[in-house]
Order: sequence, then C-alpha cells, then structure tokens
Amino acid sequence: MGDTDDPRPDGGETAEERVAPGSRALAPRLPTADPLAHLRALTLLDLTVYLYYALTAVFFLFPVLWVVSASLRPAGELFSYPFRLLPSELSLTAYERVFDAGMVTWLFNSTLVTLLAVAGIVAVSVPAAYAFSRFDFRGRRGLLGVVLLFQMISPIIIVVPLYSVMSGLGLLRTRIGLILLYLGVQVPFSIWLLKGYFDTVPRELDYAARIDGCNRLQTLRYVLLRPVAPGIAVVAIFNTVLTWSEFVLAYTVLGTAGRLHTISIGVYKFQGQFGSDWRAIAAASVVGMVPLVVVFIGLQRYFVKGLVEGSLKG
Amino acid sequence: MATADGPGAGLLRTAADRLERGWEAVLDHPLVWLAPTLVLLAVFQLYPMLEALRMSLTDASLLEPGADYVGLANYLDLLTDPEFWGMLRVTAIYAFASVVFHVLLGLVLAVAIDYGVRRGLYGNVSTRVAVLLAWVVPGIIIGLVWKVMLVESSFGAVNHFLGLVDVGPVPFRSNPTLALVSTIVAGTWRGTAFTMIMIYGGLQRIPRELYEAARMDGAGRWARFRYVTIPQLKPVIFVTVVLVTIYALNTFDLIFALTGGGPGRATQVLSLFMYQEAFTDYKMGRAAAVAVVMLVINLVLTGAYVYAFDVTEEI
Repeated sequence: MGDTDDPRPDGGETAEERVAPGSRALAPRLPTADPLAHLRALTLLDLTVYLYYALTAVFFLFPVLWVVSASLRPAGELFSYPFRLLPSELSLTAYERVFDAGMVTWLFNSTLVTLLAVAGIVAVSVPAAYAFSRFDFRGRRGLLGVVLLFQMISPIIIVVPLYSVMSGLGLLRTRIGLILLYLGVQVPFSIWLLKGYFDTVPRELDYAARIDGCNRLQTLRYVLLRPVAPGIAVVAIFNTVLTWSEFVLAYTVLGTAGRLHTISIGVYKFQGQFGSDWRAIAAASVVGMVPLVVVFIGLQRYFVKGLVEGSLKG
Repeated sequence: MATADGPGAGLLRTAADRLERGWEAVLDHPLVWLAPTLVLLAVFQLYPMLEALRMSLTDASLLEPGADYVGLANYLDLLTDPEFWGMLRVTAIYAFASVVFHVLLGLVLAVAIDYGVRRGLYGNVSTRVAVLLAWVVPGIIIGLVWKVMLVESSFGAVNHFLGLVDVGPVPFRSNPTLALVSTIVAGTWRGTAFTMIMIYGGLQRIPRELYEAARMDGAGRWARFRYVTIPQLKPVIFVTVVLVTIYALNTFDLIFALTGGGPGRATQVLSLFMYQEAFTDYKMGRAAAVAVVMLVINLVLTGAYVYAFDVTEEI
C-alpha cells in the first residue's frame, strides 16, 4: 500500500537524513567508501558516538537476543554451570511445550482480531477524516476536539465498567465485541492522522472530479484515495501493532473464554502456569513478538511516520 | 429489449435520476460520513466513562448484584486510605523517573544520530532500528523478557554479569526498591524509541543558519548545543514530556507481567491499583473512583498538551 508513491526503499534513510546543505562547514563528512581512511579520520567525538551506539545496541538488543537464546536450550541447561551466552546445542522442546499449551489458537485469534479490527478502523476513519477535512459544518471544531480528547484519554480508564458495559450490550466474551471496542478506542488517533493527509491534498482535485460528474463517494474513491494511501498504510500498520499487543481490554472482554484468547492473554496465562520454567516463558515471548518484529523490519519507515505524525498532529 | 424503448423506460430513468440525486444529497451531509465514528465513540468510550463516573458513586461489588448510591463515600474513603497515598507515591516516582530517563536517553540518542548522519558515521540506521525494535514488542512480553533477564539467581543474565564484578545476585523483583527500579528500566527500554524519534524530528526543523551564525560569533560545539539546539528544541521536548507522562501514568501491561504490582504494593501504580481493587478485591465502586481520578489526571495533561501544541490553531 502506498509503496509506489514513494521511491525510497523500505528501511532506508528518510529524506531528512540526507545531509543538509551547509552542514559540511560544521562537521566535515568522513570518508565512508574506504574503511581505513574512515578509521584514521575519526575524532574523539566520533569515537564517543560509536561507543554510545554500541552501548545502545547492547541495551536494546541484548534482552531480545537473550530470550531467543534461552528459548532454544535443552532442558536444564539454563540452570547449570558454566553460564553460556549461546545454547550448547539447539533444542526446540520449549517451543513444543508452548504449542501444546495452545499457541496456535492464540496466534489464530490474534491474527483474526487484528485483521478485522484494522480493516474496520480504516473503513471507519477514512470517511470521518474526509468529512473533517472537506466539509465545513457547525460544530466541526468542537467535534474534532472531542475526537482528540478520546485519543488522549487512555483506554485503561474504561476497564472497570467494561465488564458490565459489554455484558449489557451482549458483547462479553465475543470476538466481535473486542473488535468493536478496538475500533472505538483506536479510531480517534487514525482520524487525526488521516485528516492531516487529506488536508495536504488540494481541494481543486475535488472540484475537478465534481465537474466530471463524480459524487463525493466517487471523488473519495477514484481521486483522493491515491494521495492519502501512504497515510492509510501508516494507520493500518500502526494499528496492527497496537491491536496485536493489546492486553488489558482483551483480558477483560474475553475473560474466561479460553478458546478466544489472544496472544498476550495466552502468554500471560502460560507464564502464570509455568512460573519457573524460564525456557518455556522465553519461547512463548519469542513466538509472541516474532510476527510484529517481522512486520516492523519490513516497514520500518511507516512506524517512524506514525510516531511523529500521530503525536504532532494531535 | 422492447421495453427499453417503451414509455416505462422514461419513468424508470427519472426514478433512477431521482435516486441518484437523493443519494448525492445524502452524501453531501457530513453526518453520513461521521455516523459510524460517532456511534463507536458514544458506545465504547463515552458510555463506559459515564458508567465509571456513575459506579464511583455506588457501593457496587462484583460479589453481589445491585448497588446503592453512597455519594462521595468512595472518594473520601480513598483520600483517607494510606494505601492510596502510598500508591500515588509509587506512581509519581515511576512517572517522574520514566520521563527523566526517556527524555535524557532519547535526547542523547537523537543528537548522536543527527551528528552521526551529518558526519557520515556508520550504524546510524542500525542504532535507530535497535531502539525501535524494543518499542514494537508487546507490553506483556516486555514484562516477561525482563523477567527472564532479571532472574534472581546467579543464572540470570544480568546477575551473571554483575557476578563477574562480584556483585549480587541481586533480588531485582523481590526487593521493593529494586522492583520499582526494574519496572522503570523496562519502561524506558520500551519508550525511548518515541522520545528519540520526536526529538530527532525536532532537530531536523532547526534552521541551519542559526548554527552558522553561532559559529560566526565564535561559539564552540558545546555553546552551540547549549544556546541553539536546546532552546530550539524546547517546544518539542515539552510536548514529548507531556505525552510520556501520560503514557507512564497509564502503564499497565508491562508492570502487570513483570512484577504484578509487587512485592507487596511496591510497584503498584494507579492502573494496577485500580485493577486490583476491581478484580481482586471486587470493590467496583472504589475502583471506579480510582478510574475517575485517572480520568481527571488524563484530562489535565491533555489540557497541557493542547496548550503546548496550540492544536486549536490547526483545527
């Protein structure tokens, strides 16, 4: 989605990272083609930055790598001398245990809930963002303010009444209930982000389409959807992460309905059951984060966009 | 085919035309476009919030059906409960430390990467990806990842390395103070990506001419950072601080999985306190009162955010 609008390869440097004119005078660029020349030209400050990069990488990557390493050990190795950074031999027994406990069901549920919720969020927030961008109506500012308010207020606040609210609506322990709840919670952020994209599209495009006989729906579909496609991609990917990761709302809505449990609930329950089996907990953690990590590595720049635009535009 | 030319066809066409025009009139009304959003917000946000407000005035319990209105008793109860104040203290420490570490770490990272990109160092993107990766991991799993990292025997990864310098094994999760420190570290591990990206974006918007001018005036690297970068970043940093404060105050999953609020109530922040009141002690009325307190805090911070950003200008 939207890839064709942007020639930059995924995960590459963004435009802002290209060297700005005038920066040459402030910090002469090091030679990057020849590693030896690069090394020779390093100043103390460069070395400090490299050291900081290394420490940062260790702090942020080591926990993840350690969990992967712990999950692949044969039984008992984690608690025997000598301490090993890497497994002495690879073993998948921890993963067998996790899959026996129902990991496939959790993965299926999370995938289903995430796909449907994200599709729903896009389907609801695109028309709303269009309306906020293209209509002038009384109460528009106020309504936008309300949307912002709901974006800023954390969903954790509604957890206490959620049980009675959802059972009153007959949505307790149902997937559709959880999906609708995610829509209600995540649509405000998506509307604000998409409105920003719609606002950058000149209204002349709308007028031209109207003259050609398009109604508003056709205008949105055939004219506006293309320029806002990158925004839709950001919304889709960002909400995929949020929905996949969400725990407390799902835990409250789905409760004891074990066959509906999503990955976060499954993994949490699993660790409660196998409290001291660190190998199995590590394996469960790895399975729970791998899908998002893969999505993330592939589409990194959309995350950066979402983080910046989602908060800067309100 | 014969009927296509008959008198009925004209009638059909006018009917279709009228339908078409009616459809267009419908599409010209903003409410049509906004209706699904409004319904969702009303049912799944506004209604639960009002319900929380209502519940906070009752003695509702999960153990027995029905509830009586008790006025502000739940709030008065909270205000006189030392556990509530202890929990507020824990929350304040957690939020304050989180904000400080998030912003400091994110600021240094953003400045370092900005420098690295301009200077042509290697590893700028890899460093950024490493930080962002932590942010993508689901909260519950972050709690478990750090649980595995901080295993309290000498077989735990962190304790092993501390053992190499003759420290520990350290009881990261069973000592009250250390448990709080552990949650702060895990929270910072997750959230620094956000501050880094925000501040990096802010750095890109500083006009290069300011640095040139400062250089002409003989400002060294530190002076340029102190008198150009920092003042220029102030608005971005303020917005970031507000947002991180909101996230920190509402943190749940990570702490729930890492310490569960324990040992005792040492890491019980607002959201966990509320959760325990509701689903462990079944005091829904009291829990709803805590939710309302959280709602007020959220509203105040949102006000600060709107003020900072002057969002109204953009609307």
